[in-house]
Amino acid sequence: MTKTGKISLIVIAIIAIFLISTYSFVKGTYNRFVTLEEGIKGAWAQVENQLQRRYDLIPNYVETVKGYAKHEREVLIQVTEARASVGGAKTVQDKIQANNQLSTALSRLLVVVERYPDLKANQNFIRLQDELAGTENRIAVERMRYNEAVKVFNIRIRSFPDNILANMFGFKEAAFFKTPEEAKAAPKVKF
Amino acid sequence: MKKNLFLKNAGRLRFLSLICGLILLANLGTAKAETKYPKPTGAVNDFAGVISPDYERKMESLSHEVLEKTGTSIVVATMETIGDNDPDDYANRLYGDWGIGKKGEDKGVLIFLAVRERRVRIETGYGVEGILPDGLVGEILDKYVTPLLKTGDYGKGLANAMIAVSAVVAKAADVSLTGSPTISQPVTKRARRGGSLFPLLLLLFIMIPLLGTRQGRAILPLLLLMFLSGGGRGGGSGFGSFGGGFGGFGGGMSGGGGSGRSF
Repeated sequence: MTKTGKISLIVIAIIAIFLISTYSFVKGTYNRFVTLEEGIKGAWAQVENQLQRRYDLIPNYVETVKGYAKHEREVLIQVTEARASVGGAKTVQDKIQANNQLSTALSRLLVVVERYPDLKANQNFIRLQDELAGTENRIAVERMRYNEAVKVFNIRIRSFPDNILANMFGFKEAAFFKTPEEAKAAPKVKF
Repeated sequence: MKKNLFLKNAGRLRFLSLICGLILLANLGTAKAETKYPKPTGAVNDFAGVISPDYERKMESLSHEVLEKTGTSIVVATMETIGDNDPDDYANRLYGDWGIGKKGEDKGVLIFLAVRERRVRIETGYGVEGILPDGLVGEILDKYVTPLLKTGDYGKGLANAMIAVSAVVAKAADVSLTGSPTISQPVTKRARRGGSLFPLLLLLFIMIPLLGTRQGRAILPLLLLMFLSGGGRGGGSGFGSFGGGFGGFGGGMSGGGGSGRSF
């Protein structure tokens, strides 16, 4: 083989490799975006499951508390109203906001409940309290997993060079589920 | 003169591939620093040393039996202290780190005790939430566990927790427990990740002619790195079973179900 032949072979090989690796880079990155975005959706569905669980649990809980603590109308109404607005929320952002309000209202109710020893000794109430505490814990776990998924995705689509492809294909940053400071300070259920 | 130019080019290519390599390495090396959890040694992991050998043996054999008959993995863990961590959060993370129960089935229970924090928690995997609702778990703790923990009888308290949980699990699966020790074989197998051979073949196909020339050899590292970076680089995290013959660790997950008590 002549020298020119050899060189042109190398040039062709380099071009071919460049094209193949570009394709493989775009494909790999795009598919990674899709996987991560689906992961976020899945994590959010888990969060919603638990939020729904809490939503379903509240009427029963409120009824039980009412039986012992009739004077705490204001707090109970706040919880009921916050729950109603959770039911009306449609978008992810609205749902996060409404649920944060509900968390705040519930944490107030938990403080109030502490003042009623008879209520705290009620077997039915203890069960409901456990279910509620368990649900809050589940929400915290799923929220953490959701936020981790969002973080991974957001970092990815904002880093170079993936950000170029993210822009090109229209991938947007996902919203974190932030919690209000008030709800974070919710007292641990103790017996 | 001509030879000189070739050498220069080869040098430049080598430099380029070195730079690319460094960039890629920086890209790949994004390992997270996280809390280290101790590895489980079996069904009963008494890191705090509060369970007597007699109770430990009984619990270990009961757990083996429950796993064999119902496929549900009941694991005990005691810790001297968990530092600044929230006990309930720690129990959930420990559950996930150990992967109690089979992946996807998530039939597992973690009975967790933090001695200095004076907190006990029964964490339920996704797969047993239906048969062990939080309210029932709380009742088990109130009736059979916390009274004993308060008097310092940790071994008996934790054994009670395991017996009560086992009874619920066995009843749901419609089996009866004898309580006699049984020998259990690991039930989980290491997950294998199959990869396609095609990219590798393509790589070889392109590489072989290049090996014949000096420039070809010079850009080889660059090519290899390009291929490594482009393709799907999903990390395969295979869950395996560890912990001395107890096959209850198979990548199971918990969503934070269960109940905890301070004592």
